[in-house]
Amino acid sequence: MVNTFISSIGFGIASGSVLALASLGFTLQFGLSNTLNVAYGAFVTLAAFLGYVLIALWGVNLWLAMAIVAVVIGVLSGAYYQGFIRNLIRRGAGMGPVTIATAAALIFIEYAIVSVAGPSVKSYGITTGRTYHFWDFVLSSTQLAIIALAVGLMLIFQVLLRVTQLGRSLRATAVNKTLARSCGIRVERVTSITWLISGLLCGTAGVALALTTQAFDFNVGSSFLILIIAAAVVGGIGEPYGAIFGGFLIGIATELSSAYFNPAYSQVFAFVLLVAVILIRPTGILGVKAKARV
Amino acid sequence: MLLVYFGTDVIAAWGLNLQYGVAGVLNFGYIAAVAIGAYMFGALTLGPDSGNGGYQSYIIGLHLTPALGFLGAALSGCIFGGVIGLLGMRRLRPDYQAIVLLVVAVVALTVVQADTGLFNGNSGLSLIPNPVGLTGPATGNGWFYVAIVFGACIVCYRVLRRFTDGPLGRSLRALRDDDVAAAAIGKNVVALRILVQIVGGGFGALAGALLVGFIGAWSPSAWQFAESLSLLTAIIVGGYANNVGVIAGALLVPVIFQQATQYVPGLASNAELATDIGWMATAVLTIGFIWWRPGGIIAERRPRYGSGVRSRSRFSYAPLAMAPATVKERAPGSTPSDVGTAHEFTRPAVVAKGPSTTSTTSHDERAGSSSDEQSGRALLQVSDLAINFGGVRALESVTLEVAAGTITGLIGPNGAGKSTLVNCVSGFSKPDSGSVMFNGHDITRAPAYRSSRLGLVRTFQLSRQFSRLTAIENLLVARQHHPAESVLGVVAGLRYWKGAEEETVIRARGLLEMFEMTAKADELASNLSGGERRMIELMRALMTDPVLLVLDEPLAGLSPRWSERFEEAVRLLRESGITFLLIEHDLGIVERLCESVVVMARGRVLSTGSMSELRTRAEVQAAYVIG
Repeated sequence: MVNTFISSIGFGIASGSVLALASLGFTLQFGLSNTLNVAYGAFVTLAAFLGYVLIALWGVNLWLAMAIVAVVIGVLSGAYYQGFIRNLIRRGAGMGPVTIATAAALIFIEYAIVSVAGPSVKSYGITTGRTYHFWDFVLSSTQLAIIALAVGLMLIFQVLLRVTQLGRSLRATAVNKTLARSCGIRVERVTSITWLISGLLCGTAGVALALTTQAFDFNVGSSFLILIIAAAVVGGIGEPYGAIFGGFLIGIATELSSAYFNPAYSQVFAFVLLVAVILIRPTGILGVKAKARV
Repeated sequence: MLLVYFGTDVIAAWGLNLQYGVAGVLNFGYIAAVAIGAYMFGALTLGPDSGNGGYQSYIIGLHLTPALGFLGAALSGCIFGGVIGLLGMRRLRPDYQAIVLLVVAVVALTVVQADTGLFNGNSGLSLIPNPVGLTGPATGNGWFYVAIVFGACIVCYRVLRRFTDGPLGRSLRALRDDDVAAAAIGKNVVALRILVQIVGGGFGALAGALLVGFIGAWSPSAWQFAESLSLLTAIIVGGYANNVGVIAGALLVPVIFQQATQYVPGLASNAELATDIGWMATAVLTIGFIWWRPGGIIAERRPRYGSGVRSRSRFSYAPLAMAPATVKERAPGSTPSDVGTAHEFTRPAVVAKGPSTTSTTSHDERAGSSSDEQSGRALLQVSDLAINFGGVRALESVTLEVAAGTITGLIGPNGAGKSTLVNCVSGFSKPDSGSVMFNGHDITRAPAYRSSRLGLVRTFQLSRQFSRLTAIENLLVARQHHPAESVLGVVAGLRYWKGAEEETVIRARGLLEMFEMTAKADELASNLSGGERRMIELMRALMTDPVLLVLDEPLAGLSPRWSERFEEAVRLLRESGITFLLIEHDLGIVERLCESVVVMARGRVLSTGSMSELRTRAEVQAAYVIG
């Protein structure tokens, strides 16, 4: 009984770290630009597939490939914001139409991927390597590396946020865009860079996800997206700490529920948690503002 | 039979259009309603043993006749919508609502796929009996089924118009355009949203049932997330918030889907690739329209009520020249204005003891405990109100009174908490402690729409309007207790509420004339200038027959000429019995208009008295200098 519990926690940390990374990227976009970017899921899928091309087809080293994919997705994400999201908002599209447009972008990207890569399930085919035993659970070296990488990236990001000029500008812009602009902060540039950073995180998470799930298809990103949204909202949307916290919480929760209940329902548990948080404490566990005024 | 797909798409799109186009609720999970309808139809019409050696497992299995199957399916859609509505349509930001709705659909999909006992899991249901007595499509009786679908479309259209047209449709659009302003004129935003979930859910479910009756099978692959998008595309492309436009969209989208694939080489043999390309084309189409033509091919049109022009709406009105006279006739005992112009205003229900133009059921509530409003009794009593925002004490021990029949001013430097106080008093924020009594009712924890309905109406610092309604519609929507917005009104239709609507239009036109904005009556609110918007906001507040009107910096952004008119109007209105709480920075106007003034600074009430008294008090001067 205790074994199951601990091993679930262990796996939860592993899957939670990927989720935390992805949610961090997502919450940055949501918090800064106030848009529900549904296409984020497509970028995760894209990352997974690019990783597949590099690792499985071209034999590139895993970590190098991850770095390359992260950069590519980062650049794409920045361009996506500049060329697509920002112009939509400038043209006066409200939140509804913008969200729908991002959903359309999701569909476009994912179906483009499947038309090129085919519907069959893909795998990186990486052998699990050495395994390490911690109390009652077993983690492979890859999983450990991913946890380490994720934690490392999140730490770097926190340093960035607290210490650097960019981080300060980011926080200011997220709180009050107009005020930030009048303080001389180059809001557009900060926003583009933030989307780029979130793309980096997304790309890393996408490859990591493909690694941990072993097999994936063109839907991997959009199914993961719901978990990402759940983690971000539960933790407190727009709040970086919240996304990280939420990611680990949801990761562990899904592992626990799949250990004790029907595994097919493990995701449902996460969604129930999400809906519960939205109804009871919409600001999220660590978050600030979510309720409407009526 | 493409016509069957077309017909069911139209019905489904209408339902989603009601939710999104008209009421502004973005429902990514709409497809779940369609799925419920399909599954319920199957579950109701299939026998307990599907006659195939029982290889399907599912719930119910009642072997009902198809007609009952359709009805049951539609009903289950309504129930589903109701549950979703109660769960998710609370006071949430619109994007959170969108998330909740999406999650519901995904959860439903996951659960159904996983649990084979519910609806046969991933394999889905099949061999669902075709109502025309045959299994499978493409037979001689296919046309009969088309007729069934067509008949369903006609019925649905009649029902739909009860919700998307007329005063109810107007209120839904108001809630779409600005839910905060809608609450400020007494619309129960949450209830309306639940309503469209129920009705929309019914439509979706019926569409699903009709579809599955024809196809005979239904599985999770038929209702993935992408299907919701294709319906949204139909709405966006065809005509947002426009029922006829949606028909065009439902026609166009599948056509594009198919046609697109014909121009890509090498697809003839590869059906899967064709589907993928089709989806990509649909996505591009959606984005294209959002980018260039968000209104869709057939854009939303608002009815016109202008004078001189032969009205295109179904109501007949007296020409505008007669309107003021009519207004005068309808207001017995109203005092002629002494400003020398013929402007009149229908007196609010509080003073007119005789027949009033608005429903009298609210009259008793608003009359409150005392019927003599000139006694100077306290209409509004705020006691020891306090509220914190994340550690900042925005209001602290705020106590003040507004006497009936007076104009009370509320002044103070920026950041003093004036707007916060207004928010707390009117129900847009919940105070942490203290109480607010209005006209004998405790409204401390009442939601915004409730205070508005009781007669406490506020305006906003940054004026709010319903941008996609015309100026006059902005006024019409503010009418309280419109018979068209009741259950009886929806069921009985136009004939029931036609009279009330005509009255409302006459009143609105009277107001427009009074403020010299008749020419702009049919102009979309988004096209009005800043000053015009502010006047519309004031007029809208007046349409609600307020007892206490709280004006939050109404003169900000008004030209001197408009300011004068405004001041004149406030005086006039006070004559007719409305009480005012006026937040203003222009101390000259405050001095001229207000008998009593309250000064606030840093979240507290600093001082109370007449303006001339306050000018001499040291702490008031200090507050303005230091802030």
